[in-house]
Amino acid sequence: MSIRGRYKKGVGVVLIGIAITAAACSSSSSPKASSKSSPSTSAAVASSQSSSNPLDSLESYLPSSQNVSLTETGSTLLYPLFNVWVPEFQAHYPNYSVTTNGTGSGTGISSASNGTVQIGASDAYLSNSQTSATPGLMNIPLDISAQMINYNIPGLSSSTNLKLTGGLLAKMYTGKITNWNDPAIAQLNPGVTLPNLTIVPLHRSDGSGDTFLFSTLLSDTDPSGWGTSVGEGTSVSWPTVPGALAENGNGGMVSGCQKTPGCIAYIGISYQSQTQGTLGEAQVQNKSGNFELPTSQAIAAEAASFASSTPASGAISLIYGPAQDGYPIINYEYAIVMKTQRSATVAQAVKSFLAWCMDPRYGSVPSNLAKVSFQPLPPSAIAVAAKELASITG
Amino acid sequence: MSTHTSSTQGLPFSPLRGSPLSASPKGQLNSSKYPYRVFLGLARWWRAVVEQSPQYLSAVLGAIPFLALVAIVIILFHEAFPAIKVNGGGFVTHSKWSVGSEYANPIRRDGVATPVGATYGAWPLILGTLEASALALIIAVPVSLLSALIVVEKLSARASRWVGVFLEILVGIPSVIYGLWGALTLGPFLAHHLAPIANHIPNVPILRFFRGPTYNGEGLLTAGVVLGIMIIPIIASTARDLIRQVPASLKDGGRAIGMTDFEVSRKVIWPWIKSGIVGATFLGLGRALGETMAVLMTCGAVLGTTAHSIFSNMNTIAATIVSQLDSAQTDGTGFAVRSLAELGCILIVITLICNIGAKLLLSRATHDTTTT
Amino acid sequence: MTQRPPSPALDQLNKKRRFKDRLLWGIAACALIVIVIPIIWIISQVVSKAIPHMSMSVLLTNTIGNGGGLKQAIVGSITLLVLVGAIAGVTGIGAGIYIARYAPRAIAGFLRSTVEILAGVPSIVVGFVGYIALVVGSHWSFSIWAATIVLSAMVVPYIAKATEVSLRGVSDSLREAGEAIGLRDSLVLRKILIKSASPGIVTGFILALAISVGETAPLLYTAGWSTTSPTFSLKHSPIGYLTYPVWTFYDFPVKSASYLALEAAMLLIILVIALIALAHLLRHKLSKNLPQSL
Repeated sequence: MSIRGRYKKGVGVVLIGIAITAAACSSSSSPKASSKSSPSTSAAVASSQSSSNPLDSLESYLPSSQNVSLTETGSTLLYPLFNVWVPEFQAHYPNYSVTTNGTGSGTGISSASNGTVQIGASDAYLSNSQTSATPGLMNIPLDISAQMINYNIPGLSSSTNLKLTGGLLAKMYTGKITNWNDPAIAQLNPGVTLPNLTIVPLHRSDGSGDTFLFSTLLSDTDPSGWGTSVGEGTSVSWPTVPGALAENGNGGMVSGCQKTPGCIAYIGISYQSQTQGTLGEAQVQNKSGNFELPTSQAIAAEAASFASSTPASGAISLIYGPAQDGYPIINYEYAIVMKTQRSATVAQAVKSFLAWCMDPRYGSVPSNLAKVSFQPLPPSAIAVAAKELASITG
Repeated sequence: MSTHTSSTQGLPFSPLRGSPLSASPKGQLNSSKYPYRVFLGLARWWRAVVEQSPQYLSAVLGAIPFLALVAIVIILFHEAFPAIKVNGGGFVTHSKWSVGSEYANPIRRDGVATPVGATYGAWPLILGTLEASALALIIAVPVSLLSALIVVEKLSARASRWVGVFLEILVGIPSVIYGLWGALTLGPFLAHHLAPIANHIPNVPILRFFRGPTYNGEGLLTAGVVLGIMIIPIIASTARDLIRQVPASLKDGGRAIGMTDFEVSRKVIWPWIKSGIVGATFLGLGRALGETMAVLMTCGAVLGTTAHSIFSNMNTIAATIVSQLDSAQTDGTGFAVRSLAELGCILIVITLICNIGAKLLLSRATHDTTTT
Repeated sequence: MTQRPPSPALDQLNKKRRFKDRLLWGIAACALIVIVIPIIWIISQVVSKAIPHMSMSVLLTNTIGNGGGLKQAIVGSITLLVLVGAIAGVTGIGAGIYIARYAPRAIAGFLRSTVEILAGVPSIVVGFVGYIALVVGSHWSFSIWAATIVLSAMVVPYIAKATEVSLRGVSDSLREAGEAIGLRDSLVLRKILIKSASPGIVTGFILALAISVGETAPLLYTAGWSTTSPTFSLKHSPIGYLTYPVWTFYDFPVKSASYLALEAAMLLIILVIALIALAHLLRHKLSKNLPQSL
C-alpha cells in the first residue's frame, strides 16, 4: 500500500473521529483533505490505534494549501530520519518545502530560540537557563532513539559484542584505562581475546545531544567520579587523554572510528546501517546489571519504564532506567519549537508537519523508523507532545 | 513658475550644445534669450554636481572600509566585554574549556550571569594557533623565497606569468577544498609514509616532539603543511615584487666582478630585500593565524589539550570559534558566545599586530629602494 | 691582460662556487615544483573522485537531505557572487578611486592602512560579527542579505587595493595631457584614469569574487543552508551555497553524501579556475590598444 494512501486513510480516520465525537473545536479541516478522504477507511486502523489516540484531536493541523517553507536544523542523530520524512511529506503536500540540516543539537536549540529556523532538532531536552532565557521555547518529543557504543578492534569477529559498563567507559574517557587488553575489560568478557591496542576515545567536537546522552550515562554510573569532575552536557570539558579524537557530527564519528583502529565511540542508533559490519557494537550494562544490545525490544522495554513519568514539558532523561532488560542509553528525540511563530501560516505548518512526523500511522510508521532503528512514542508521551503542539500559535 | 514652463519649452534646443566643451564663448550664451539663461544656470549647477560627484561619492565609499573595520572591532569587543571581565587573565594561561553545567541554575559572577562551572582557558588554542602558523612559515618562507628568486632571475616573462597564474589558483582554491584534501589525502599520506620514518627519531626530549602515534592522520603536521601551502602565494608574490625592485645595475655590478648568481643573490639581492621579506613573512603569518576551515578539517579539533608531538591533535582559535559557536549557543546565559567573542578579540589583536608589523616593514623596504 | 697563473686552490674554490650556484638553482627549481604539486594533486584528486558520480542530474536537481543534486547550491553561490560583485564592486572601486585620486595625502595614507588591516581580519571574525550583529542582532535570520554584507566586507579591501594600485600606476603624462587639453575632471577620471587602469581593476575585482565564492566559515553562520532555490526575500530565508556540502558531507558515512561533497568541490574548482581565466582574458583584452604613456 502506498504511503500516500495510508495517510489519506489516516485523514479519514481523523475525520470520522471528529464526526463521531462531534468535537466542539472549529472544524476548519481543509476542503482538499475532506474531499479526497474516502469514508471507507479500514476500521482496523482506527481500532488498532485506539480511538483515544491523542493525535486524533490534531485535525486542525492538517496542512493548509498555502505555500510554506520551513527550515529544520540540529541533531545529526535525528537528521537521517528527517531525510526520510521530508521527501515523503513533500510528495504528499507539494506546497510545503522543508530544508533539513544536520548541524548538531546545540545549533538546533540555539537556532530555534533565536528564530533563525522554525524547527530545531535535539537529542537533549532544554535546560532551565535556556527556557528562562527564551520563554516560550518548547521541547516536543517526536520519537525514541538510542545510542550505540561502538569500537574498532581489528581481528575481533563482528558477532562478538563486547560487554562494557558505564564505569568502564568513564575510565576509558578519563584515560584511566588505556589499552584494550586491560584486565578490567577482559574480566567482563571471558573468552574474548583482546589485542594489545591503545584505546582511542572519540568525542564530538560540535555541541551534541549524543554527548549529552553519553555523559549522562557516565555521570549516572560513576556519580562520584565522572559526575563530579566532568558532568553532563551537550558539550563537556573532556578529560585530557593522549590521542583522544574529536569528530564533527555522528557522520564524523562513524568515519573517524572506521579510520582509527582502537577507537571507542558513542554513535546515534540512526547510523546503525553504517556501523554494522564495519564497527563493533557493545552490550551495555543496565541498572539491573544485565548487558543489553540496542535492540528494538530492549529500547521499548526501557521506554516503557519511563513513559508514564513524562512531564508536561516533555523534558526527562531516559538514561539508565530501572527496566530489567532495557537498553540503558535511550532518549526522546525532540523538536525544539517556539510557542509563537512568525505567522499563523507558519505556526500551522509547523504543527501539521510535526504531528505528521510523530504519528505512528504516518511519519513514524514502523517501516520508516526501522530505517533508523528508532521506536515510536508511547501513547502517554504522544499525549504530552500533542498538548505542546496545540499551544503553538502564529 | 512661469520661467519653469518656458525653460522646458527650450528643451529641444539643448543647452548642452552650447556648453563650454563645444568651445562657445561665454558671453555669447549670456546674451541669448532670458529662458535660456535660466536653463543654463540649471545646467551649470547640474554639471557642477556631476563634476564634483565622483569626488563626494567616492569619499563616501572610501569611508566604508574604515567604518566596517570600526564596526567589527566595536561589536566584537562589546560582545566580549563581560567575558573579559569574568574570565580575567586566566583566559590566556589556563587550559580548561568548559561551558559549565547547562542543567543547573546559572550563577552571577562579577555581575555577569554564567552557568555553574563555566571555565574558559584558551592557552592550548593560542599555543596551537602559533604552532600551526610557525610550521606553515617554516614550509612556506623558503619555498616562496626560492621560487620568487628563480622566477625573477631565471625564468622567461612567459614562464613567470604562468607561475603567477599558479599562485592565483593557489589563492583561489577554497579553504574547504584544502581541508578536504588535507583530511582525505594528505593526512593519511603523512600518517602512513612520513610517520613510520619519523618514528626512527630517538625518543628523547625535544626530538620526541617529531615522532608519535598518528591515529587518523589529522593533527598539527597536516594542518601546518596545508596552511603552509595556502600562504605560499602571499609570501611568494610579495617576495617576487621585492626582488624585481632590486636595481639591475647592482646585480650587473656584482656579476661584472665575477660573482656567481648564487653570490649575487646572497650578497646583493638578499640584503636589499631582507626587511621586506620579514614583512612578507608577517603578512603570511597574519593569514595563517586566521585561517579556519582548512585547519578545522585537518587539525583533529580537540579542546583542552596541547600538542605533544607534530602528529598529535590540536586546535586553533579560528577553528574553535567556528566549531564551538553552535554549542556555545546552548548556554542560555550567553556567556559561552561571549567567551568565543573574547577568543575572536585575541585573534584579531594578534593578526592586527602581524599585519601592521608587515606594513611597516614592507613600507620601509620600499622606502629604502626609492632613497638609494 | 696578464695570464693568471694556474692555481689548484683557486680552481677548487671556483668549482665549489659553481657547485653552490647550481645547487641553489636546483633547490629553487624544486621550490617551484613544490608550488605546482599541491595544485595538481588537489585538483586531480577531487576531479578523479568526483567525475564518476557526475551527471546532469547533479546540476538539475536540488539537494534532498544528504543526497540529490546541487542545483540550489549552484544558484545560491551565483546569486551571492552577483550581489557581492555589485555591492563590493561599487564600494571597493569607489574607495580605491577616492584613495588614489581625491583623498588628501594624510587621509589617503590612513585609508590605505585601514583597507590593508581590514583585508587582514580573519574571515571567521567577520562571520562571527555578522552573525551577532545581523543574523541575531538585527533579526535577519540566516539570509542572503547577511551573507552578502559579510562577504562584501571581506572582499572590498581586495578590490579597493587593486583599484588604487592600478590607478596610481597610470602614467602621470597621460593624465596631465588630458588635463592640459581642458578635459573636465570627471572625463579625465573616466576616459583616462579608469580606462587605463581597467585591466588591473577588472582582474582584482574578479579575483576577489573568486575568493568570495570559496568562503565557508563566514557563510555557515550567516547564510545558513537551504535545499530549495533562493527566494527573492533578502532576509529571513537561508540560502544554499557550494562550500556547505563540502564541509558538511565530506566525512558523512553515506555514499550519496560524500559524492555530493566531492561534486561540490569539483564545481567550486571549476568556478574558481573559470573566474581566474576570465580575469586574464579580460585583462588581455582591455590592455590591448591601451596607450601606456605619452
